Amino acid sequence: MRPIHHPSDLLLAEYAAGSLDEASALIVSAHLALCPHCRRAVADFECIGGALLEQVGGGGFDTQRRGQAVTAISADLSQQPVPRRDLSVADSIEAMIDVYGRGPWRWIGPGVYHRRIDLEDNGVRAFMLRGAPGTELPDHSHSGTELTLVLKGEFSHELGRFGVGDMEAADGGIRHAPRIGNEECICLVAMAGTIRLRGLLGRLIQPFVRL
Amino acid sequence: MKNDGPERSDDDYGKMIRSIAERRDRTAFACLFDHFAPRIRGMILRTGASAEQAEDIAQEAMLTLWRKADYFDPLRAAPAAWVFAIARNLRIDGIRRERRAQVHACLERVEPEGPEQPDHLVNADERQRRVVEALKHLPPEQAEVVHMSFVEGKAHGEISKCLDLPLGTVKSRLRLAMVRLRQALADLAEEETP
Repeated sequence: MRPIHHPSDLLLAEYAAGSLDEASALIVSAHLALCPHCRRAVADFECIGGALLEQVGGGGFDTQRRGQAVTAISADLSQQPVPRRDLSVADSIEAMIDVYGRGPWRWIGPGVYHRRIDLEDNGVRAFMLRGAPGTELPDHSHSGTELTLVLKGEFSHELGRFGVGDMEAADGGIRHAPRIGNEECICLVAMAGTIRLRGLLGRLIQPFVRL
Repeated sequence: MKNDGPERSDDDYGKMIRSIAERRDRTAFACLFDHFAPRIRGMILRTGASAEQAEDIAQEAMLTLWRKADYFDPLRAAPAAWVFAIARNLRIDGIRRERRAQVHACLERVEPEGPEQPDHLVNADERQRRVVEALKHLPPEQAEVVHMSFVEGKAHGEISKCLDLPLGTVKSRLRLAMVRLRQALADLAEEETP
């Protein structure tokens, strides 16, 4: 099943340019693992980089360094070519998250668990969220942008249904109350700023939720 | 460009990378080095790096090309775009302990989806040529932000500060540039329409 909700071209271009913060880049990378359509788009945007690289023009290069490189490829065992080894999509995403390391799952509210990823860049943090089947998350808004990628299960809210591979980009100010589908849902999230919970339940659990 | 040797095409560079993958062709490596290393250095210099940092990254990018030649898929990417992505990851990692390159390596290893897209993949070099052409015809204000984003590696917020423009203007210029680019590629076969 292919994802339906994709990152915007602007976000993919920012990713291809290499100017996206690292937490958001991780979420986009995981979406790309799940989405051939967006991999194609990123490849097209990387052509821009290729074209501009060619335009930079040549000129010489430090001959000593060139010599070092040629020696390294001839002699240095750690520099030898590695044959391509494929990974399944799921293993690829696990390996991406493992690049950073993660904490244990922690309860943060009824039916909701949070798992820290040791990654914060330019004020944007990455983490995982797990919701039990049928859980309604408290109505909330964000102070900054939030990217959410579904890794397992699904959730839905006013703006649609989000299943595996779907990415939602919520701008600061958007308010929503997602509901988890009929199976457990696991998401990968990059968030700038903080979440503000609303409603009675939200106010009750806000002190426990340090998102 | 002087001292740049004979004129070569994307196709030639693609074959050299394949030749490294298939038989560790050192002559091909030297040739690719002479073409790409100075360009990578030039690009990294434009991010504000020192000459030494730029040469470090260029050298490391070329060694990465050697090690990972087998990941180059000529149907998927033109050589320049592939080399750009290697250099971009190393540039980001200059401040981030090699993690971006590791994440990228995980993504590269995702198994291709079988018979998904035979026809539009045969033209990576054609796609690259189209993009080169489209870039030439961008209005200057769009070309400027594209350059700052892709070559200088500036975030949209930084571009907005440098040019003293509202963030929304920077984003809309980039968005328009991406639309033009997409249009330039639109008639090349795309995968299934959703």
